[in-house]
Amino acid sequence: MKKRTCRILGILCALVMVTVLSGNALSTAHAEESYPDIEYWFTNEGFLPAEVGGAYYTLTKDTIGVGVYMPYVDWNGGQTYREQLALRVAANDTPDIFVYNGGIENSLILDGAVLDLTDYLPELMPHVWEAIPAAVWESVRANDPTGQGRIWMIPDVTNFTRHGAYIRTDWLEKVGKSMPTTQEELVDVLRAFKDNDPNGNGVQDEIPTGGRMEARWMDYLFAMYGVAMYEGYPEWDVYDGEITYSAVTPNMKAALGFVASLYKEGLLDPETLLNSAGDWSGKFDSNRVGVYYHIPWVSYQRLQGIYDYTNGEVKAQIANLPQLSAEGYEGYITVKPTGSSGKMVSADVAKDEQLLKAACRVLDCQYNLEYRDLEYGVEGMHYEVVDGKKVKLPEDKATQELLILQTPGCWVENVEVITSRLEAIRTEENGWQIDQAEAVLNGNQADGKIIAGDGMPSSVYDGYEDIQNRTLYVEYVSKIISGEYELDKFDEFVDRWYKNGGQAVTDRVRAWYEGKK
Amino acid sequence: MRGSHSIRESAGDRTFNLIILIFLVLFACLMAVPMIAELAVSFSSKIASQTGTIGLVPVGFTLASWDFMVRNSGLWSSIGISVASTALVVVISLAINAMLAYPLSKKRFAPARFLVLVVVFTMIFKAPTIPYFLALRGYGLYNNFWAMVIPQVISAYNLLVMRSFFQSFPAEIEEAAEIDGCGKFRMFFQIVLPSSKAVIATVGLFYGVGAWNQYATPLMMIQDTALFPLQLKIHQLVNAASGDIAAAVKVSTANYTNDTLGAAAVIFSMIPVLLIYPFVQKYFAKGAMLGSVKG
Repeated sequence: MKKRTCRILGILCALVMVTVLSGNALSTAHAEESYPDIEYWFTNEGFLPAEVGGAYYTLTKDTIGVGVYMPYVDWNGGQTYREQLALRVAANDTPDIFVYNGGIENSLILDGAVLDLTDYLPELMPHVWEAIPAAVWESVRANDPTGQGRIWMIPDVTNFTRHGAYIRTDWLEKVGKSMPTTQEELVDVLRAFKDNDPNGNGVQDEIPTGGRMEARWMDYLFAMYGVAMYEGYPEWDVYDGEITYSAVTPNMKAALGFVASLYKEGLLDPETLLNSAGDWSGKFDSNRVGVYYHIPWVSYQRLQGIYDYTNGEVKAQIANLPQLSAEGYEGYITVKPTGSSGKMVSADVAKDEQLLKAACRVLDCQYNLEYRDLEYGVEGMHYEVVDGKKVKLPEDKATQELLILQTPGCWVENVEVITSRLEAIRTEENGWQIDQAEAVLNGNQADGKIIAGDGMPSSVYDGYEDIQNRTLYVEYVSKIISGEYELDKFDEFVDRWYKNGGQAVTDRVRAWYEGKK
Repeated sequence: MRGSHSIRESAGDRTFNLIILIFLVLFACLMAVPMIAELAVSFSSKIASQTGTIGLVPVGFTLASWDFMVRNSGLWSSIGISVASTALVVVISLAINAMLAYPLSKKRFAPARFLVLVVVFTMIFKAPTIPYFLALRGYGLYNNFWAMVIPQVISAYNLLVMRSFFQSFPAEIEEAAEIDGCGKFRMFFQIVLPSSKAVIATVGLFYGVGAWNQYATPLMMIQDTALFPLQLKIHQLVNAASGDIAAAVKVSTANYTNDTLGAAAVIFSMIPVLLIYPFVQKYFAKGAMLGSVKG
């Protein structure tokens, strides 16, 4: 018995020592530099963490003089990230710089967790100050929950028409149609896609068009009726002279009538209301979809998908579907320059002057085109040099560290920035895809319109989460599209929406809009 | 006592047994279907996964998902972390549980009722996340391997199971030992414990499974990937393919999706359990009833 007890104790001690030793070996320390390191929390969907002393950390230290690092924080659609961030804030250990999203910003500001950037921006972050349009700064000031017009955040800015529909032009050719210029012509083309086997496999498996669950990602069909919509979320724009939620306008009712008719005729994917992101892109990639609404410049991935699926037989051809208008309406693509996410700085940073300078420097460099090459990441890990030109390596999350400073939205996004990113991945093999992606990126810029609700703070929904989550909207819209409800049920929806908090939210939005004007 | 001769089966019995056999075989097949389907998904290509064409046989056979899993450097060390934390939880918790449950089972021990109440209190009232996090962090458990061990070592439910078992331990045996001059510790270590293998195995198994599967506490406490247990690591791997940021410009040659990676991960994390389960299965079956009947 004693022997056995001793043995167990021995094993325990050994285990304890192993774990303690391995733990110590991992503890981090950094050398004495002029700038302290910056912990910067950003979206990480499975890349290796950029830890102190690692390749990416070293790159940032060598390039901008500040070592930037981030532990692995699960993103999980932003939810786990926000939970983890809340824990760190509660422990008075807020990361120096972090991305905010999902409407957490106001409570962070009111809790005193974040730094007031107003006075530091022009002096310590001139590139940020210059890059972001004055109108955006104004709306940030207007949204200050303390009511003092201070700037607490650097919002992500998307200064161009980001979304749009594209159509398979090789299919148009096969069915003998030209690019539709009216709603009727579009329906005619969709019918031809459905009936005339444009993918030529002898099976009627074509899906003329469609979208995803919750009636998302088919905005162009709604937009024909002047419905403001962003990735399937109804937005706020001026209707009848007043800012109104687009989901409760007569425009929406008319649009739903049209979408439901497409569904009934089989021109909309019958699984539209069930499709996940992967399901829907998978259908396009399997050479079955005619018109696809998405972020046009990502189309190169879809073209590669079709190419792979058909074993290199189909080099699909696409072009922008112009934003059409239904009769009596004016169609437009919703543009929202002020993103609902962006960056904040921990209030604790101000306690150490050098730390404050380091944080401001990191943010400033992100908006300084001189450091644009940071986007390429680490040589050998993220890119290689071919004929003197940097070429991005294929994404591989098993070996690549997170590029904290290479992000969509790090810089002010515009056509030129996106084009340069596309050029960074151009190779001989994918040239035909990149060309088309650039063409559709440029092709629909004129169709965009900045909506009145741009820059609206999410706090207008405080206390009305069901309105924010579109609970009622999704239910009615799904049932109307699928034919379970008659179109006239829409009036009941509008009525219930206003009664269940919609009126209160509308009042807040109108008050905010008045203030903004 | 009856003789050992067997009773001859009637035709009815045989038919009945046959029906049961067929039913069980069908049932077993039914249980195997989802696993086979997952296996098929884990060996299928990206496009097959996206287009939903996979049944029980891989479509566009590829090792991409498995290759990604195995290439990921942290995977093997995360298994080590999980094994070490599980082993430590089992050993420490059994030692503490047994030594706590034994006195609590004795009526003579005056504070027992109060202590049991304290234990039951933790079953009913749980600390909210943030205070719990701050407390553990205050103990220095943030990014610390022991965060996966210490909070796991006492579960009120398991303690009560053990206590009930000790309560049903025949008092006569203890009295006999006492008359022979056996002291309290000797009684516990040499008389009671050796006769309590069943409850030790069962409770140990509960702790082991709990520690192996733990996710919420490590997610909250561990951000250092070198300390990730298997469950966190697997979550990271599966997330790797989800790619929420559709707008990122990237060269993608990956032939997997989060579904195929998830399938590979599920199969992968099942392997250790599959290896151990046949040996401890009998305790699982017993475990649910243990300590429930006195006498």
